[in-house]
Amino acid sequence: MLGSYDFCGHYEWTFEWLCQQDGEPLVREYWDTAIARDSQKHASALISEKGIEGMKEYWGHTLDHEAAGYALSATDDVFRIDMHACPSKGFLIRNGLAQYHDYCDHCMGWIGPVMKDAGFVVDHEHNHCGQCWWEVRRAEDVTPPSAPGALSGENDVRLMPEWKTNQTDHYERSTNPDDKTTLP
Amino acid sequence: MTEDMNALPYTDTKPVGAADFYFAINATFHFILKKLGADGLRRYWTDLGTRYFATVTKQWQQGGLAGVADYWRAFFAAEPGAQVKVSHTDEVVTLEVKVCPAIKHLRENGREIIPCFCQHCYFINEAIAAPAGFTARVTGGNGACRQIFYKRDAQVPEQDIKHIKEVASC
Repeated sequence: MLGSYDFCGHYEWTFEWLCQQDGEPLVREYWDTAIARDSQKHASALISEKGIEGMKEYWGHTLDHEAAGYALSATDDVFRIDMHACPSKGFLIRNGLAQYHDYCDHCMGWIGPVMKDAGFVVDHEHNHCGQCWWEVRRAEDVTPPSAPGALSGENDVRLMPEWKTNQTDHYERSTNPDDKTTLP
Repeated sequence: MTEDMNALPYTDTKPVGAADFYFAINATFHFILKKLGADGLRRYWTDLGTRYFATVTKQWQQGGLAGVADYWRAFFAAEPGAQVKVSHTDEVVTLEVKVCPAIKHLRENGREIIPCFCQHCYFINEAIAAPAGFTARVTGGNGACRQIFYKRDAQVPEQDIKHIKEVASC
């Protein structure tokens, strides 16, 4: 049986398997079709219906269940996640599992389409070591991402010494996993 | 949880998996079936067994049937809502799956389960077992089943896929 306990391991392995079958477009279609619109349709429904309140509800529940180290911050206009210890990437690192070239892209791969459908855009960075941050605003809101510490205070992952790594991927007002710049 | 989690090749800090991941497993099967057909889905399951679970094959080679049983005890202890009895003799390991945690959770949440969902247990099990010197058979399904692991030289009939029930979503 394919289990939930090591899910992140075979999930990450599946990205590379799909890539070998028909290239990167099939992986992107998988995140969009299978994950955003099928597996996570409960998240999509919650966020489409309740907006930022739905995000608080969804990520509060899910990250608790995945035993994540994280902080959620929100106002009426923005929803922010500071991920200090990603349960998913952490599992892969601890177990030495790395088949696909950038596992972290999968989050924008499914969250992007969910936010696009609900009328939001995303500012996001991940450092490939289990730390990332997300700010979600309505698509018509052109406010730039917050300065470090301004929105989530001492919980802001960008203030933590382990945040700086060799390669950080950066998204601005995006909903597309390929719409990123890589910062040294 | 009292099982020896060292029997699992990959371990986590949390004691059991998050049940909502069964949504993604079912959705993945559904996607591959739609994009690559039934042959593609069976190839996916077999490749998972052969490649992703290669470390399990090694454990079974080294541990024999006792190793197979230890693996499944630890495996189901980490699956939320599983009710499974694992027993073994000198000849076989038997899993009596009274409540399949995946089918249970998918059904409780009104998810459309692909009819051939239960076949993945046979194809993955066999791909793990064969190079370790064992062979797997599955009967039943749709929420409860029996899975048996024999020594590869045992005289047992080939797996008949028709003996694995299709899943009804509700």
